[in-house]
Amino acid sequence: MALDAPQIQPLVEMKAIEKHFGGVEAVKSVSVDLYPGEVVGVLGHNGAGKSCLMRILSGAMMPNGGEIHVAGQKSDITSPHDARDLGIETIYQTLALADHLDAPANLFLGRELKTRFGNLDDRRMLREAQEVLRRLNPNFKNLGDPVSSLSGGQRQVIAIARAIYFDVKILIMDEPTAALGPSETAMVADLIRQLQSEGIGIFLVSHDMHDVFDLCDRVVVMNKGRNVGAFKIEDVTKDDVLSLIIKGELPDDWAPRNLETAR
Amino acid sequence: MGDLIAKARAQGRALSLSPEAFHKLSALVTLLILIFVFALSSPAFLSINNGLTVLLQTSVIGLLGIGMTMVIITGGIDLSVGSVLALSGTVTGLLVQAGVPVLPAMLAGIAVGALCGLVNGFVITKMRITPFVATLGMMLIARGIALQLTGAAPISRLGEAFGILGNGALFRIVEMRENGFPRVVFPGIPYPAILLLIVAIAAAYLLRRRQIGRHIYATGSNEEAARLSGVVVDRTKMIAYALSGALAGLSGMVLMSRLVTVQPNEGVMYELDAIAAAVIGGASLMGGVGNISGTMIGAFIIGILRNGLNMAGVSSFIQQIVIGVVVILAVYVDQLRSRR
Repeated sequence: MALDAPQIQPLVEMKAIEKHFGGVEAVKSVSVDLYPGEVVGVLGHNGAGKSCLMRILSGAMMPNGGEIHVAGQKSDITSPHDARDLGIETIYQTLALADHLDAPANLFLGRELKTRFGNLDDRRMLREAQEVLRRLNPNFKNLGDPVSSLSGGQRQVIAIARAIYFDVKILIMDEPTAALGPSETAMVADLIRQLQSEGIGIFLVSHDMHDVFDLCDRVVVMNKGRNVGAFKIEDVTKDDVLSLIIKGELPDDWAPRNLETAR
Repeated sequence: MGDLIAKARAQGRALSLSPEAFHKLSALVTLLILIFVFALSSPAFLSINNGLTVLLQTSVIGLLGIGMTMVIITGGIDLSVGSVLALSGTVTGLLVQAGVPVLPAMLAGIAVGALCGLVNGFVITKMRITPFVATLGMMLIARGIALQLTGAAPISRLGEAFGILGNGALFRIVEMRENGFPRVVFPGIPYPAILLLIVAIAAAYLLRRRQIGRHIYATGSNEEAARLSGVVVDRTKMIAYALSGALAGLSGMVLMSRLVTVQPNEGVMYELDAIAAAVIGGASLMGGVGNISGTMIGAFIIGILRNGLNMAGVSSFIQQIVIGVVVILAVYVDQLRSRR
């Protein structure tokens, strides 16, 4: 994949993004980009600024500086609504589900389907939800129950379904497998590959090195609010990445090592 | 008692009732038991006339309770409704006194209520003051304005038209007897009861079938999730508080019209009845839970308790104690069901 070939336009370019809270600089002049069909791992310690950066892209947070270009166009993302209109969907680590509502209501929250008279079209939402949820998990039943009574895996499936049901172009996944068992994790991995083949760009925030090296085409490492390295996955080993995460720099003897596999 | 509840819970599970349905059923059973007990203790309790009186008395709590339910579902609370009721009534009274026809004056009163609610919503969402404090402030402000406008004196002689909403009835049948005196065959369904029914249906429709209703539930259930899902949380809350204020205004119209007098001191502590009605009906002060039919049952439990205890000659002091105990028991039962 010659992704950085100049004729392909990136889906997203975040340029020199700044974010500070009072005197604390959470994100310092960070630039990242994402191309169609690419999975970019966003790595870093807790508090390195990666979630902050992703929240800025998903409209949950406003940057103090920098520009975001979506499909080549400078875009002001001032709310989650704006981000969704641009085809940016997010699966939050907290899942962001309304516990008292059922699965279809959560799936369509903020984008409810309506009848001609403007009433909620619960029947159609249920039908659509059944379809998309069954694709992700064949034995998903109890769609009428409040999601608080569902298992962690089922809740995760709803959060994923909500992101991919709509016309997604850019997907942000924040620790999508943290709450999942092995089979469900494999399901998410398959899903990522499928979305990738459909030309969707994915930012994958993860702590799991195994997932990252399995799924990502590139990694971006953040340390103390800075982007300390962006590499093709073939060029680095797990040790290199760990060094970047922890120290903020590569090992002293580092040189790009094509196709050298991690231990 | 504990046994009973455990048994009821087991049965509820056997019937595979949802917790919400279970709560509503238990509230409904409580209501029926109350009616049964009061019917035994006082023969006049179960008469048509008394039934209509209960309807009339409950309509004000019911209207306030509907608005309160919406606010409570968003995870907030509205302590200002009793005062807003008084302010709305005062504004209407002054307008009528100044020669404005009754209907536009009443609409203006309701608009004042809605405005108070909007201010509540603004203070809560934009100034980020907790609902408890914001509406406590509005409670004092609205009451103060009402007292200031009237000099704390009641406004009376508002004319017959002002009393129609509170005292009129539909299907009232009166026949003239031979001796020339009228006899009331059927006192009719009081307008306030009809109004309550209409508002309750409209509110239930709003909460269940409209997007704003879904957003009200989502906001109370998980505000951050709602926001991230593209729900405009601030606007949703503003609408909930404005509706609560407007309904407080409407109940002010009903109450003052019934007395054909505007009392700036009216409606003190009504917010607590409204909260009690919503909570007895299954609304959770944590947000995300509650519905109109439950609140209606709750309002009638309070209304019938008041009425029945009155007829049985129980003092109003004891009534307060009883209602207090009922509120606590209702919440206790609610917690039991959510633990199962």
